[in-house]
Amino acid sequence: MRRSKKIAFPILVYFLVMLLLLTACSTEGSSDPAGEGKTTVTMWHGLTSIDLDNMNKVVKAFEEKNPTIKMNLVYTESSEGSDQKLLTAVAGGNPPDVALFDRFKVGTWAAQGSLTDLSSMAAESGIRKEMYYPFAWEESSYQGKLYAMPMDTDSRLLFYNKDHFKEVGLDPDKPPQTIAELEAAADKLTIKEGKRFKRIGFIPWYSQGWLYTWGWAFGGEFQDAATGKITANDPKVVEALQWMTDFGKKYNVEDIAGFTSAAGTEEMDPFISGQISMKINGNFTVKGIEKFKPDLNYGVAPIPTPTGTNFTTWSGGGSAIIPKGAKNVAAAWKFLEFLGKEEGQTLLNADSQISVIDAVNDKYGYKDDPIMKEFINILPNSHNRPVIPEGQLLWNELASATEKATRGNGTPKENLDRVTETVNKALEKYDK
Amino acid sequence: MAKLADSVQVSAIPSARKRALHRTNVIGWLFASPWAIGLLCFYAIPMLMSIYFSFTTYSILQPGEFVGMNNYRDLFQDPLFWKSIYNTIYFTVFFVPLSIFFGVALAMMLNMKVKGMAVFRTIFFLPTLVPQVALAVLWMWLLHPNFGLVNGMLAHIGIDGPSWLGGEAWSKPSLILMSLWGIGQAVVIYLAGLGDIPDEYYEAAQIDGANWFQKTRKVTLPLLTPVIFYNLVMGMIGAFQQFTLPYTLTKGQGTPANSMTFYVMYLYENGFRYFKMGYASAMAWILFIIVMALTGIIFITSKRWVHYQGK
Repeated sequence: MRRSKKIAFPILVYFLVMLLLLTACSTEGSSDPAGEGKTTVTMWHGLTSIDLDNMNKVVKAFEEKNPTIKMNLVYTESSEGSDQKLLTAVAGGNPPDVALFDRFKVGTWAAQGSLTDLSSMAAESGIRKEMYYPFAWEESSYQGKLYAMPMDTDSRLLFYNKDHFKEVGLDPDKPPQTIAELEAAADKLTIKEGKRFKRIGFIPWYSQGWLYTWGWAFGGEFQDAATGKITANDPKVVEALQWMTDFGKKYNVEDIAGFTSAAGTEEMDPFISGQISMKINGNFTVKGIEKFKPDLNYGVAPIPTPTGTNFTTWSGGGSAIIPKGAKNVAAAWKFLEFLGKEEGQTLLNADSQISVIDAVNDKYGYKDDPIMKEFINILPNSHNRPVIPEGQLLWNELASATEKATRGNGTPKENLDRVTETVNKALEKYDK
Repeated sequence: MAKLADSVQVSAIPSARKRALHRTNVIGWLFASPWAIGLLCFYAIPMLMSIYFSFTTYSILQPGEFVGMNNYRDLFQDPLFWKSIYNTIYFTVFFVPLSIFFGVALAMMLNMKVKGMAVFRTIFFLPTLVPQVALAVLWMWLLHPNFGLVNGMLAHIGIDGPSWLGGEAWSKPSLILMSLWGIGQAVVIYLAGLGDIPDEYYEAAQIDGANWFQKTRKVTLPLLTPVIFYNLVMGMIGAFQQFTLPYTLTKGQGTPANSMTFYVMYLYENGFRYFKMGYASAMAWILFIIVMALTGIIFITSKRWVHYQGK
């Protein structure tokens, strides 16, 4: 008896400790604490500062209109971290009801069967393709079905330093329009001493100068609309990469490398510090310039093209999705619908992002702002990256091909042939 | 000796005490069980699962189908797989010996009886406290080709510095340089090893008329070999798993021209960005086999060069 008591106590302690550990690890559950018949919709997001404030306003307005639904916002760190969390949650069968999501990944996740098809709910709620910029709808859909609610967007333009233009005798109100003009301006603006650049006029691949940017500017297409096959070796795309390669040769790639590999962001941005006179970048850096160098005398213009016409750009952006296996799909859709319509869009992107609805951007007065209006005006002609299950692979392969070609490691054509082959081969398994 | 003593003791214990001992064993295991269960659930089972997954097209989100050796066959035809192996071995081959050389040298310097030594020891240990991500950002600026401190200093003595992280030729050496900066952890272990060497050996050597160099070669280094052995094995395993620094430096892209795509980075890319978890599992097992084989080789050769005191 005495002995069993002696052993019983530690065992009791043991089970208590284990119980404590288990309860500490389990989640609070999705039942609603108020218990008033409300449905709680859990949303995972990575928003901070002004974007979070805006989202809270959206939630408040939404809850007022839908008293039976309560939104529960859960912060999960941004980008890759939250993707992994979401990935695990979906695989484990316990995902949130809504998650904010980079539209770029819609194709991949939809192909994996991990997103809820929103098409019929959208049709019922009057969410239509025509309400949005074409690329935003396109990028939210996979194989003709809607899988995400587009939330915000961006676009890319040529930034140029007007003071530098004046200094070297270029007209600050006439940014380059053709590729030839761009090259001439870059040449004038560059100041090189030995191997070191004191100032560099332009680097095609710096910042947002991806091959996507130039491929489209040169009039190329990355995907065959009819077959869905990837066409990274489209002659126009090859031409674009050839131009980038020649540009690199002229200024010596290794010497330029300093800018591209170690250039900082924010106040360390070489455009802000005057070390680079022109760059391709998105509207998302405008706020940084306002903050760190409000007196920077700069302008933005469409990305130059070979002909000086048919200006274009490309856009990405955020969206909201309902993961497969979400518990409150109907209520979650209610929120997505609110988010996607004008009222939600107006609250969501105020003083921060570009809306995916043109009329909302009108309302913000973006079209009266000399800088912002350029970013908005180009949107109807903007592209989205191909929505394919292997979007990330294509992205990486294009980046790698650009690097190899510009560094003289194979010709542009050879590199892009390889990209096309690799990605199309990877896509084959989805056709089965 | 110790083992023998234990068994003698156990057999001498009367049976009542034996039972008491058995009971405390049970209780001991119970208290250790959270760890044991954790090890089983979060290490052993996932490891075994990953063997299976390496033969499938598992994508995390979908179970995938059994494809036999396809993943392994594809890997051997994947140029980036070979490139990542090359990069990883390059890094290991240079970093590990250098880290041992500088680690031992530094430890010997920090073992001298000089005033204020604690300050120096702290200085060399401090960098290991800096998180890898912060370290990467810091070095990105130090090594900036045009405005960085390193090239600035080189310029003063008339050397035109390379573009460091910007070029294929210098990106990996730069990484090795950065990694050597965090050597402090190993130095602490070497210092402990040095402290373990009895003074009598040095006194005896002194009497025999040995100079500093002879003392180092005949006394210090042989008696430090168990510690060097430990750091060699751990350093090699660590070097093969190089991830955070190059990932942060290149924003996960392995630039320039994949010269910074390390094995585990490519594994991560396949698993979590391309959803090819089966492929990534196969990579993990190849890495496991490589590291096991190399560790085995080091263990076998260690009999020749590792000297334990008292043997």
